[in-house]
Amino acid sequence: MDWSTLPWDKIFVLVTVLVAGLGIAMGIIVPAIGQAIVAYSGLKAISRQPEAGDRINSIVLLSLAMLESLAIYVLAVILILVFANPMRTYIFGG
Amino acid sequence: MLKMNKKTLSMIIVFVIVIALALISFQIRRNTGFEAEPVANEITPKIVFTLGALQVTSTVINTWIMILALSIGAYFLGRSFKVRPTMIQNAIEWLVQAVENIISENVGTKNTNKFLPIVGTLAIFIGVANLLGLLPGLQSPTPDINTPLAMALIVFFSVPYFGIRSQGLWGYLKHYVEPIFLMLPIEIASEIARTFSLTFRLFGNILGEEIIIAILFVISPFIVPVPMMLFSIFTGVLQAYIFTLLTCVYIGGAVKAHQQS
Repeated sequence: MDWSTLPWDKIFVLVTVLVAGLGIAMGIIVPAIGQAIVAYSGLKAISRQPEAGDRINSIVLLSLAMLESLAIYVLAVILILVFANPMRTYIFGG
Repeated sequence: MLKMNKKTLSMIIVFVIVIALALISFQIRRNTGFEAEPVANEITPKIVFTLGALQVTSTVINTWIMILALSIGAYFLGRSFKVRPTMIQNAIEWLVQAVENIISENVGTKNTNKFLPIVGTLAIFIGVANLLGLLPGLQSPTPDINTPLAMALIVFFSVPYFGIRSQGLWGYLKHYVEPIFLMLPIEIASEIARTFSLTFRLFGNILGEEIIIAILFVISPFIVPVPMMLFSIFTGVLQAYIFTLLTCVYIGGAVKAHQQS
């Protein structure tokens, strides 16, 4: 089989779109579960001890931000894949 | 016949008119064949002019406009302060109080004067920069990765500065090898990783908002992007708050080691 006759540019676009869609969907699942656990335990802690609410609030926000950065890494990788793929020059040249 | 009072009826009428206008603008865009700018072009900064080897992008121009507006506002507001605060002065005092609260909770000192200038500047700059994109004709500078990277580098260098200032050079360097010298590579890696995490959190959040607004603008330019723009006010302020909070936590980590030992 002659590999060079395959339409590599079309395959490249197809694989990029597939990986981008699947990657963002799968990459969001785990941080979402983590954020749910954080919010759940924060709510439980506040309802048990409302006077510690301010301190718990800031810690919960901090942990949510930490977990959100994981999802943001996925988004950054996907954006690089879609808009500025460094491997593009091998397929399309220049 | 369903019973409804005037309020519900008027709300429903407004809602229907808004939906109809959005659909009409969608149809007009489709029928006239007007091509919107591609999303990738809309979110990348353009080069406005070049100074020798330096390329001045639209991000820098927007940042200059923002700095100019903030400086002029600060100058005139700072001269008009009174003992009995009026409307704007109340808001500014509330802002300063909020930043002082964040510092005193996370750095752990009652004396916030040492940290207030840098933390307050970062909070105001990032908050205004995130909201700048809502003004017509201006773009917010944060979806360009260079602006968040500059902010994160300021934090990266100010953490050792405050650490050395509060506990001396050896006292600060000692916390890298406590409790055992094996912690040294992990500590250095975490210093670098949190700089990148600060950068990408701010960049990714605001860029995601911008992309969603741009895509909605391509679909129907009239009324559909407005709810997302309202939501981006919330996200922008929240990201500024989180950046400030994390800055205070990192500075506190460098300063607090002294007080425990």
